[in-house]
Amino acid sequence: MCTISCNGSRRWRTRRVMHAPLLLATAALLALGGAGVRADEPDAATRTHAQRIAITVCGTCHGPNGNSMNPKYPRLAGQNPDYLAAQLKAFRAQTRGDPDAIGYMWGMASQLDDDTIQALAAYYSAQKAEPSASGASPAVTRGRQIYAQGVSAQGVPACAGCHGPDAHGLQNFPRLAGQHGQYVLKQLASFQSNMRNVAIMHGVAQNLNLDDMDAVAAFLETQP
Amino acid sequence: MSATKVTALGRLAGLTALAAVLVGAAPAALAVPSFARQTGMACEACHTVFPELTHFGRVFKANGYILSNVKQVQDVTGKREELLSLGQNVPLSIMAQVSYSDMKTGVPDLAAAGAPGVAQNGTAGFPQQLSLFYAGKIAPNFGGFFQITYANDSGTIGIDNTDLRFADTTLLSDNSPLTYGLSLNNNPTVQDLWNTTPGWGYPFTASNAVVSPLAGAAIDGAFAQDVAGLTGYLYWNESLYAELGFYRSAKQGQTNELTGGAGPLDGSASNVISGAAPYWRLAYEYNWDRHSLEAGVYGFDIKLFPGGAPGAEVPLSGPLNRFNDVAEDIQYQFVGDEHQLTLAGTHIHESMKLDASVAAGTNPTDNLSTTRLWATYYYRRKLGGTLAYFSTTGSTDPGLYPAAVTLPSGANPGVIVSANASPDTRGWMAEVNYLPWLNVKISAQYIAYNKFNGGGSNYDGVGRNASDNNTLYLLLWFAY
Repeated sequence: MCTISCNGSRRWRTRRVMHAPLLLATAALLALGGAGVRADEPDAATRTHAQRIAITVCGTCHGPNGNSMNPKYPRLAGQNPDYLAAQLKAFRAQTRGDPDAIGYMWGMASQLDDDTIQALAAYYSAQKAEPSASGASPAVTRGRQIYAQGVSAQGVPACAGCHGPDAHGLQNFPRLAGQHGQYVLKQLASFQSNMRNVAIMHGVAQNLNLDDMDAVAAFLETQP
Repeated sequence: MSATKVTALGRLAGLTALAAVLVGAAPAALAVPSFARQTGMACEACHTVFPELTHFGRVFKANGYILSNVKQVQDVTGKREELLSLGQNVPLSIMAQVSYSDMKTGVPDLAAAGAPGVAQNGTAGFPQQLSLFYAGKIAPNFGGFFQITYANDSGTIGIDNTDLRFADTTLLSDNSPLTYGLSLNNNPTVQDLWNTTPGWGYPFTASNAVVSPLAGAAIDGAFAQDVAGLTGYLYWNESLYAELGFYRSAKQGQTNELTGGAGPLDGSASNVISGAAPYWRLAYEYNWDRHSLEAGVYGFDIKLFPGGAPGAEVPLSGPLNRFNDVAEDIQYQFVGDEHQLTLAGTHIHESMKLDASVAAGTNPTDNLSTTRLWATYYYRRKLGGTLAYFSTTGSTDPGLYPAAVTLPSGANPGVIVSANASPDTRGWMAEVNYLPWLNVKISAQYIAYNKFNGGGSNYDGVGRNASDNNTLYLLLWFAY
């Protein structure tokens, strides 16, 4: 938990350590088209600040390295940074409307600035995702099939088409591998009801029945 | 909480607060909506159902109530050091309790000496209690929980539970968080993180218009709002918690005979702490999946000058009464979206050494043990209830637990005495709660006594049975 506000009030305080030499070096790299430094990449002080927030605030629910133990809270370790940043901005803008987003994340993200969001996304994406569950079951087998092939009879496309064959996602398509099954299930239900208003996922989920959602969630939880 | 925890008998017995704490009388205090306004998070982040804390709520409290997700009014030095950080929402809340209490059997009417009657049974409290809170961040590493309460038993407004905290968190070399802090508070265990210790333990509220058992341990609320304590704590990895501190008397409404001011305390004050009383706490919490399990120990060692009262002063010197409390607690929580289950309990053992009161007729030493166990279930945080068992046993002591209260008329009304000088009390509590909204609770609570002040039947020697004190308590409780 923070002894700091999550509104970035400490951020500029720590960013003051972004001394002139560092600024100059950054500017020089950018001017030279410096490889490895993107214009929107957070500076070192912001990254340090974000790490502290991640461990001492976000970590209470999501785990210090993003591998939450509680299936209510999604695992963030290894998540794609673009997706994480987009979600944090959606929380901040109060446009993501599933119940836990409203109850928890609207407040937590309300004062985050773009730099901190980028740094938080970078922090979690750099963490190693730990396996969430293992084992085989009929539900996992069924889920694997749905994930890879969809349910053509119900007009449900293959999840792998966007989230990748290994369920690691790409850019704005989130990593699903290793995610808590309960969390995935809840999100699918939110997409279906449009509480979480994402047109693509509403289209996918609206024809999924509860058993199919359960199966996909069970499968994803076992994926490395 | 109701400030009055001391019965008339307690005052007569001369060991007031200690001999007369209402068993199970927990503070009617709670989580407050100002925290939700400050964090922008729903109640469920910190609570199963108020006032019981979740893991996140415990961490929030350990960090000094300062997590803030609102815009701040700030001031800084030229070196960008924060001088001021004020949330744009003032963290104020109000809380009200409206209640109705009904005992199985009414009590004698003592108002008209020589004209025996029965007091009206069925007491409406409107309000039983009305509180104003400042609860939230004060400065970057400084937060507070202030409660000012109007209580209908005293008819006055006074200080209630207060916990001021300085706290910070550092990351150790392995990146594990270590929270450290100080708490300045007025009720031992009010600063605790778990809902097992007396400050925030079950029952979270109780009637103040019924008959209460005679005995209670020192740490069991006897010194609530009567002390000032400074404790320091460490909370490692949101799991291992250690705390040590000291309490000193901080009387409210006490006047020094010489200075005419609030102090120094003199012989007109009763139960004044000699020096400073140490309080200690050690607990470990393990979290997995949606489960949380805590086990801990805590204790309080207090030495008191019995003192006196205005007009009957007794010097604050000489022998002391010592109360050494050692307690264990345990809590299991399952916090699901649909179902919330809590199993919890505490056992308090008190050793008394009554050097100052032995001349007045008490035993030189006594023991007292209190056990409380409870199970709480809620469905969707909306409908639920608690079943609790409570038991107090201890040494028989006619000086502490007298057999009679003698009125000016010479009559002995019984009720608040123990015919066999025993503190033993045992019973069950059942409570059903409905929350139409997360900050509004409607409760029906029933207390059933199997034993009261040492007996099941005719415990007072004038024909009253323990079950006559069974109580139905209806409550509307809300905060905004």
